[in-house]
Amino acid sequence: MRVCKTPGVPRSVLVVEDDLRIRRIVSLALTSEGFRVTEAETGEECLALLTARSFDVILLDVMLPGRDGFDVCRSIRHQSGAPIIMVTARTDSHDVVAGLEAGADDYVTKPFVAKELSARIRALLRRASGSGVPDRVQAGNLEISPQNGVVLRDGAPVPLTRTEFGLLCELAATPGRVLSRELLLERVWGYDYFGDSRIVDAHIRRLRTKVEDDPAHPRVVLTVRGMGYQLQP
Amino acid sequence: MTTASRTAPGVGAIREPPGSASVRRVRRSLTPLGLRGRVTLALAVVALVLSALVGGAVWISVSGFLISKRTQALVAQTGANTEQVRRGLSSPGVSAPQLLAQLPREIGSTSLLLVDDTWTTTSLQVNRDVLPAGLRSAVLAGQPAHQRIRTDQGPRLVVGLPLAEKGSAYFEIFALDELDQTLRTLSTTLWVVMLAAPLGGLVLGRWALRPAFRPLDRVAAAASAFAAGDLTARLDPRGDPGLVAIANSFNATAEKLEGRVRRDAKFAADVSHELRSPLTTMVTALDVFEASRARLAADGREALDLLRAEVRRFEHLVEDLLEISRADAGSADVVLDVVALPELVRLAVPARLQDRVVLAPGAEVWVEVDKRRLERAISNLVDNAERHGGGLTAVVVRSRDGWAEVAVEDRGPGIDDSERERIFDRFARGRGTGRGSGAGAGLGLSLVARHVALLGGEVSVTDVDGGGARFAVTLPTYRDEP
Repeated sequence: MRVCKTPGVPRSVLVVEDDLRIRRIVSLALTSEGFRVTEAETGEECLALLTARSFDVILLDVMLPGRDGFDVCRSIRHQSGAPIIMVTARTDSHDVVAGLEAGADDYVTKPFVAKELSARIRALLRRASGSGVPDRVQAGNLEISPQNGVVLRDGAPVPLTRTEFGLLCELAATPGRVLSRELLLERVWGYDYFGDSRIVDAHIRRLRTKVEDDPAHPRVVLTVRGMGYQLQP
Repeated sequence: MTTASRTAPGVGAIREPPGSASVRRVRRSLTPLGLRGRVTLALAVVALVLSALVGGAVWISVSGFLISKRTQALVAQTGANTEQVRRGLSSPGVSAPQLLAQLPREIGSTSLLLVDDTWTTTSLQVNRDVLPAGLRSAVLAGQPAHQRIRTDQGPRLVVGLPLAEKGSAYFEIFALDELDQTLRTLSTTLWVVMLAAPLGGLVLGRWALRPAFRPLDRVAAAASAFAAGDLTARLDPRGDPGLVAIANSFNATAEKLEGRVRRDAKFAADVSHELRSPLTTMVTALDVFEASRARLAADGREALDLLRAEVRRFEHLVEDLLEISRADAGSADVVLDVVALPELVRLAVPARLQDRVVLAPGAEVWVEVDKRRLERAISNLVDNAERHGGGLTAVVVRSRDGWAEVAVEDRGPGIDDSERERIFDRFARGRGTGRGSGAGAGLGLSLVARHVALLGGEVSVTDVDGGGARFAVTLPTYRDEP
């Protein structure tokens, strides 16, 4: 795994959790892992904080009083591409899929281990481009510049989240080569083995709505049945 | 075992290789015939008796009729011949042999004439010894007589008529081969019919009883489906009026049980769900402690380790309980991925036990599974072997004929035959063996069964030679290897 330490400025994390004890201890744990943590008790408080400033990562509990986590997640997505990690209490299809559909980048299930959580956060914050990634990749009507963090579709910039951009860059690094979902989980999300492949599928779906002319019949980001995904060579 | 399990062709060979596991003995007690059997048997007996009566009556009347018809005809013919002999004897100059030669005769019949103590016969093979003594004396006493006899040549009818003179008589012996053949055919036919009737009764009985027993079959099917875990199994109360009462009471009972199981499941789910929040705090707090471990005194460090171990156990318990209640509530989700089996097995086995993993021939296969579920199933089995099976001895991975197997073996006392069926039940706890006496063991193995069933596989338990249990998970292999 290519984990980049975050030198210099500590990364900021917003923890949205209504349970005081969990909020405090997560805050403590992440602080000891070197993050700068801000706490919010409700979805409303979280959205209010976001109008004033931005955060590198948002840790969002699903079960919030008032506006629930899914709802808050969708609102955040309208204004920010910052990575969102959903905290679910269950691994039920429903919560996980709903969270991913709402725009979450990743999810953790309670009870989670603080080390694992910080590993998830670091993976999402890692600079998308590694060595060996070309400066510019052309795929169909897309123009990807991994180094500059820019994707142009027919010359117009496409607003991608950090994770979507990372996913596209991984595919763009080797156009035409099929990357398995496991490999993408490892490279983009930092999972070693037990990653949930639904995360990849959900992000591929969202990526297609942004880069494909017809997301139902993709021509740039292609599915290879039973094997994985590839960028149109 | 769970309902979704598949029977794997050829897996039996994998599961019980010769010499490595004891063959399971199946004890079968003699069961009484049952209602269906008794009714069918009664029908067969009735059919046998009826057919014997009818057959006997047919035999008596038909054979009697045929025999008397034939006898009448032959007696009449003998009468005519006797008349001719009488006339011949009264005319002078005709010898007895000449007289007999002139008589019209049926093929195979022989005439004997006794005149003046002299016997004349038309056949060299047949002499007067053939004539039964009783018949001869009756005829010579002036009494016409006939009798059926059996000779070396076959059945014969002897007819004797006295002549006018005292001490002389005419006898004729007729072959009855044709009649005998007819009677034999008749008797064979009757025997066949008589024996076939009860068989027909059996078949007919079964056929006729089927619709009668169908409602009972439906009750049995519904009850066993319910017992196998299908809580929605119900009987259709319409149709057979005789079944309505049973159907209604079965459905009412099933309804209550289902409601209760669902309430229990929901309760378990709610409880374990509620436990997750404090658990999260505890687990994370331990992580924070861990960071300052170096600053703790030795006893503080030991206390921290103990706490960590207990919290982990607690966490596993809550997860297992949640998993079970989710499966009960029917909301289990399966995320399928194609993975290399040896890699997954290695990840499921703790680092200190890695040397027990054995990759047998065919181990390098791909399976399409929910990684999390299979990993939990295997690690639960390993955990079970370590905690209740006297220690893990081997985790053997192999495959054959499209089925992969992961076998977890321990050095414990093994599992009694009687325990094997229920060891995968939810709260099954071994009796007297020590297995399952620890907390969570009952949940662990039942979860294994559920996980594996959801993946289209099967889990079974056998004994290892020299003691110990062998839990084997069989799964279909993935065909198109990526």
